[in-house]
Amino acid sequence: MTQQASTPRRLTVDNDANRLADVRAFIRDSVADLGGSKRAADDLVQAVDEATCNVMVHGYGGVPGEIEIEAARLGNAIQIRLLDRSKPFDPTAAAARADTSRPPTPKRPGGMGVGIELLRTMTDEVRHHVRPDGGNELTLVRSIDGPAEEG
Amino acid sequence: MAMTIDVEHLGGSPAVSVVALDGELDASNYEKVIDIVRDAYTRGSRRLVLDLSKLSFMASSGLFALHSALRIMRGETPPDPEAGWGALHEMGHDHEGTAANVRLAAPQEAIARVLDRTGMAGLFPVDADRASAIAALQGS
Repeated sequence: MTQQASTPRRLTVDNDANRLADVRAFIRDSVADLGGSKRAADDLVQAVDEATCNVMVHGYGGVPGEIEIEAARLGNAIQIRLLDRSKPFDPTAAAARADTSRPPTPKRPGGMGVGIELLRTMTDEVRHHVRPDGGNELTLVRSIDGPAEEG
Repeated sequence: MAMTIDVEHLGGSPAVSVVALDGELDASNYEKVIDIVRDAYTRGSRRLVLDLSKLSFMASSGLFALHSALRIMRGETPPDPEAGWGALHEMGHDHEGTAANVRLAAPQEAIARVLDRTGMAGLFPVDADRASAIAALQGS
């Protein structure tokens, strides 16, 4: 059975790192309003900051562009969607690191490894699609309470 | 929310600087932290306390700034932001078990969690407050 997401809240920002603070405030407020715990808000703020920053740095690069962010409740989870018009860029393609007790291992030039890892460990699910009409759609799902990952 | 940075050069031998971060450390401002640490080193500081008690958020770019601070205080060139995580890995292996020259004071819970989950916690001794961190460095 497919659950129906609530009507999403939306924020659109330009490709500008100075807007990341607005993105974080939007996520924190939205998660609280949608019934998420403080821990859920902390984790999603971290994950969405990393995901948005990745689109800015690796998707758009220095090119102007917009990122649309939607937050909605889906059953007992919060669903965040990031929509952009940048080049196809799949952060879920990076391989998982086996041993997180040690400092990060290099993934590839671009300095992305740690951000991707945070994106993954702070959420329950990350999905990426290339949009048919160009750009990326990244969906992050995290339960409304409890740790995304024990430990 | 912007970030303000407060710097205090305490002197001593080895000289200690305290950099207090207030606000949110992210991709828009992490380079300022690196610049300030570099300036402290130029002024003669070889030990550093990063007071995180008023820092409410730290992105992975902030972790990169912390790592750069460690290298600067050792007199090493900080890694290129575009190729930095490989150097970070080496750092963890090269200096494990050696006395740290950068200590973190009073990180908030969410930031402690980020340090922990990325394995970065192992690179930085963490103290309950700024005074303890300063005392630990002045005694080393």
